[in-house]
Amino acid sequence: MIDEASVILASAVRLTVPLAFAACGEYIAERAGTINISVEAMMLGGAFSAVLGATITGSASTGLIFGMVAGLIIGFVHAQFSHRLGVNTYVVGLVLSALILGLTSFLLDSVKLDTNNQVNAVNIPYISDIPLLGPVLFSHRWPVYLLIVLIPFVWWLVQRSRFGLELRAAGENPQSADVTGIDVRKRRRQALLICGLLSGLGGAYLAVGEVGMFNQNMTAGRGFVVIAAVIFGGWTLRGTIAGCLVFGAADAMRLALPALGVQLNAQFLIAAPYLLALLAMMFLAKTHRAPGALGIPFVRGTA
Amino acid sequence: MTKLLEAPHAARPAGPPGPAAPRTGAPITQRLRTPGLYALSLSLAFAIAGLLVAVVGKSPWDAAVAMYEGSLGSGSSIGQSIDQAAPLLMVAIGSVIAARAGIFNIGQEGQLIIGAAVGASVGLFMPGPGWFVLLMILLCAAIGGALWASIAAILYYWRGVDVVIATLLLIFVANQVVSFAVNRPYLLREQAVPGQTTASQSDMLRESVWLPRFGEYPGFNIGAGIFIAALLAVGVYFALTRSRWGFRIRLLGLNAKTAHRAGVGAVVVGGGALLASGAFAGLAGGAMLTGSGYRIQDGFADNVGFDGLLVALVAKDNPVRAIPVALFFGALRAGGGFLASTGIPRYIVAVVTALLVLAVVFPTAFAEIQRRRVARTTDA
Amino acid sequence: MVGISKHFGPVCACGDVDLSVAAGEIHGLLGENGAGKSTLMKVLLGLVTPDSGQILLRGKPETISDPLTAAARGIAMVHQHFSLVGRLTVWENIALGDRGRVDREHIRTVVREVGERYGLAVDPDARVEDLSTGERQRVEIVKCLRRDPDVLVLDEPTSVLTLEESRDLFTVLRRVVADEGKAVILISHKLDEIIHATDKVTIMRQGRVVGRRITAETDERALAREMVGRELSKWTAATAVGVMDALIEPGQTEPASGPQLEVAEEPTTADEPSAQEVSTPEGSVAADPSGATPSAAAPTVTEATTGVLLRIKDAHAISPEKIPLLRGLTLELRAGEILGIAGVEGNGQSAVGDLFSSLLPLTSGTVEVDGKTIAAGRPGAMHAAGIGVIPEDRHASGCVLDMSVAENLVLADLGGISKRGLLSRSRLNERARALIEEFEIATPSPDTPMRLLSGGNQQKVVLARELSARPRVLVAAQPTRGLDIGAIEYMTLRLHEAAKSGIAVLLLSTELSEILTLSQRIAVIHRGTIVGEMDRADVDVERLGMMMGGQTA
Repeated sequence: MIDEASVILASAVRLTVPLAFAACGEYIAERAGTINISVEAMMLGGAFSAVLGATITGSASTGLIFGMVAGLIIGFVHAQFSHRLGVNTYVVGLVLSALILGLTSFLLDSVKLDTNNQVNAVNIPYISDIPLLGPVLFSHRWPVYLLIVLIPFVWWLVQRSRFGLELRAAGENPQSADVTGIDVRKRRRQALLICGLLSGLGGAYLAVGEVGMFNQNMTAGRGFVVIAAVIFGGWTLRGTIAGCLVFGAADAMRLALPALGVQLNAQFLIAAPYLLALLAMMFLAKTHRAPGALGIPFVRGTA
Repeated sequence: MTKLLEAPHAARPAGPPGPAAPRTGAPITQRLRTPGLYALSLSLAFAIAGLLVAVVGKSPWDAAVAMYEGSLGSGSSIGQSIDQAAPLLMVAIGSVIAARAGIFNIGQEGQLIIGAAVGASVGLFMPGPGWFVLLMILLCAAIGGALWASIAAILYYWRGVDVVIATLLLIFVANQVVSFAVNRPYLLREQAVPGQTTASQSDMLRESVWLPRFGEYPGFNIGAGIFIAALLAVGVYFALTRSRWGFRIRLLGLNAKTAHRAGVGAVVVGGGALLASGAFAGLAGGAMLTGSGYRIQDGFADNVGFDGLLVALVAKDNPVRAIPVALFFGALRAGGGFLASTGIPRYIVAVVTALLVLAVVFPTAFAEIQRRRVARTTDA
Repeated sequence: MVGISKHFGPVCACGDVDLSVAAGEIHGLLGENGAGKSTLMKVLLGLVTPDSGQILLRGKPETISDPLTAAARGIAMVHQHFSLVGRLTVWENIALGDRGRVDREHIRTVVREVGERYGLAVDPDARVEDLSTGERQRVEIVKCLRRDPDVLVLDEPTSVLTLEESRDLFTVLRRVVADEGKAVILISHKLDEIIHATDKVTIMRQGRVVGRRITAETDERALAREMVGRELSKWTAATAVGVMDALIEPGQTEPASGPQLEVAEEPTTADEPSAQEVSTPEGSVAADPSGATPSAAAPTVTEATTGVLLRIKDAHAISPEKIPLLRGLTLELRAGEILGIAGVEGNGQSAVGDLFSSLLPLTSGTVEVDGKTIAAGRPGAMHAAGIGVIPEDRHASGCVLDMSVAENLVLADLGGISKRGLLSRSRLNERARALIEEFEIATPSPDTPMRLLSGGNQQKVVLARELSARPRVLVAAQPTRGLDIGAIEYMTLRLHEAAKSGIAVLLLSTELSEILTLSQRIAVIHRGTIVGEMDRADVDVERLGMMMGGQTA
């Protein structure tokens, strides 16, 4: 029983990791005032590039870097279009999602990719042997530990650094930030770049970390679940990560329940994270307060 | 929570640029710059696509030829393009209505497949003369799409859930709902024929409820869908520009507070617009069902919802302008189907489509930036 | 020595403006809305790039391209509408304009130190959104002072303050100048403020400097003349000066005087925005009362015979953030009277405006017109009940900038111009032309987008639409804010006429002088409730001021 529980929990943690990387990025982007729906594109692009990179270099870890770069490029394009040219951010996100889905599908059919190249798992000596907790927390592929370091760093970056302070000001009250001498659009662009970097990493981890290969449309809407996680978390980092865990656990249950002999129909389980996200937003959207200028493009001189 | 105060495109012209308002009296070079930019960015989009094909070791020329063959090369392929355009146009009309009301519905993909599923059940189980059942299929498909959109509307107006995210997430739910239905023999899964295995799809609709087709079969022939879509486009265009309803939609989209004061309720008019856009997506599903597929299965929507949305974006929220855009996108889709013979994955069409949208969005946005920059230095 | 000279472009908000301010003085910058004061200061702060001219600091030319550079050169500004971010704490806000690492402890200490030095105590860990407007302004000033600026600019600092808070502010400013030898520039259009608080004053009109005076050697009347640019009637002068004493002599009132509607602005051509339009950042400048020209003795209209038309009973309302906006507001309004609601900005005036715009639902209490209860907050309910509104922020809820003038003139009343759900273009245009003529709206055509009209003409469109709907009640919230003189005069006259024709007029204004000029009865709003009421004839300014500050007297 403990074994089964720890398997499910470990798989929940594993499935949370890609979401959590991307969610850290999305959290930063939203605190700066952008609802970034191209996070899906960033994850998908990151996943593909990671496998491509792993195939080219033979190293899955280098693949992760490829994935991050891909996310960064998508973030750059999004940032230029929506926070320099002023194109509606949803339009940009939607088009980028379509573009990356098409592009990765096209390339997948045209390029021969490795199918079994994964980053190494690291069992932390001794503590990974602890029953239940050991396999759940201390027996993972190495990027998981990176995530554990990343989360406090992101918190520090947003809550304590000058950059984060200016970022939040840009997301809460861009007009005020502007008269104080903060380049609002620039901060928002930077937030999108970071978001791209982290979401790319999330997607890359999904591909070369968990699955070991790339499938067509392999993120399948996980990016949108990430957005829901940020809303679920009420725009706090803690809540966002908790949201990811909830959605990751739902995903893990989908895989684990049939093995446990529980019969639930597949369609319901696949839809579960999305339903959960909708329900979460339904109950939380009114109580949580979004950044003041979330989703509102900044134009100087309009109050 | 964002209310999506902005229409989903970059620069809405401030009004009809009639001679009465020659404020943008820019020098001729500047006025020529925007069309030039269009030409430049469109060719860039095609160039990138061609480059991609070349990179994977295929000939862009072959691709272009195949695309041409599949979309315009013969009477039948022209018909194919037009058939593909019909649902795109329907989705686009709906998107326009929502966008004019200041609402960004991006869940057409889901509303479409739900509409199609509802239409399929009507088509399979409703007795009656063919023409009547066909009408009922289309009507119920539209209602199905509207109901699916109403979930997002309720979530938004009642609980403040962002429309964009809600409609988006509902796509995934819709796909699973339909998948559920076509996997259950007591719902939509096809009836077993002795000696054959059944697949995850519905039975085929009987021929009498198919949309009528015009033309000679091997040659040029098109379904009635495009006529319905075009009529609706023109009708909606007039409704939006000439009717009280259109005036109210526009009022709401441009200034929700003023609208509220003037008695235009966001819930009624805005929610209505969202439902209407869902209905058009559902109708598109019904048209695809009765016009070409005749049965529903997983993946039925095939990105038509998203592509239709892009049509609306390119057409800058004008239903009449959406007609040629939809025809063009339809041609791309039809041409994509022909690519298989060349070994080039048809996904390149999706890439081209997305690049084209960026290419179209860019010049207006760029011009707007230029205008604003000029304004800032002169106005202060 | 600080010598600032500033030349500024051709079609301009500021044309060839020179301004020099010496250390150790409070320098008043006086002018009406749109005179170019704010623009000039924005140039100094690096928020606006000038076409020409230069800034000399201590005799050396400096280029100031953005607010951070300005800060580095020792120039800081207390903005009229605060530059604070509500969701952040006080110390975070104060750290916002800095560079380098964020040192929380250091900043908190600095906040306390600066607070002690100048008598501006604030809690560094409080969230700005929880503070009162007065406290927020203190934060704003601390934010500026902690950088030890040489030049401190205050833009209309008292528009959101009570009398007492204003007095405190000037004490602080005096200390800043006297003890530390800084220069303070005080932007204002209130003459009494300039007279009391400044050492020197520069007067601007239509983007140009029209006078420089030593404050001690001039008086309010002379300043008013220079600011407005013509001799004023006694009544108007009093309004402009903001000296209420002149107004309070009852009895002999000024007959229709002064240049009136002949002054109506020149038609604004669409391709050449007028200087006024350019120079007035819409809605950002506080109301200016100076042009108010009552055509006849305001207080003579009789209202004794008519009954109560509009009644608000014990209205409570909260904002979406659950902050109370109205706390038991009660008032009554009779046909044909003008009731002025005075109060310091941010005490519920916007909520009252929103209430009548159907934008604010009540948590309890009722609104009645003619004894019938109106469903507050339901779309269009107030309009349908015959309440017309000239909203405080016309861009937010008064008009639609991207629709044509004609469309803006009908908005709610599509009945007369449509048939079976379809709009009739010709009838729309017919109606629009009639209104454009009647209200002297300067527009190239009815099809011109609203956006291209000047502020005054936009306001006329709103007024025309609301009056053409034949309302029983007209609510005018800050109706003259951000308008030029001609438009203000026009507005004032129209409101007066509306009352005479039997409409019950509710005037919400933060400008006491505007209220005193127009109303027959005055109520004072404080923290979302009416704290007192008096007839125009019994007005005691001292008492009024205390009520506005929250003291019941």
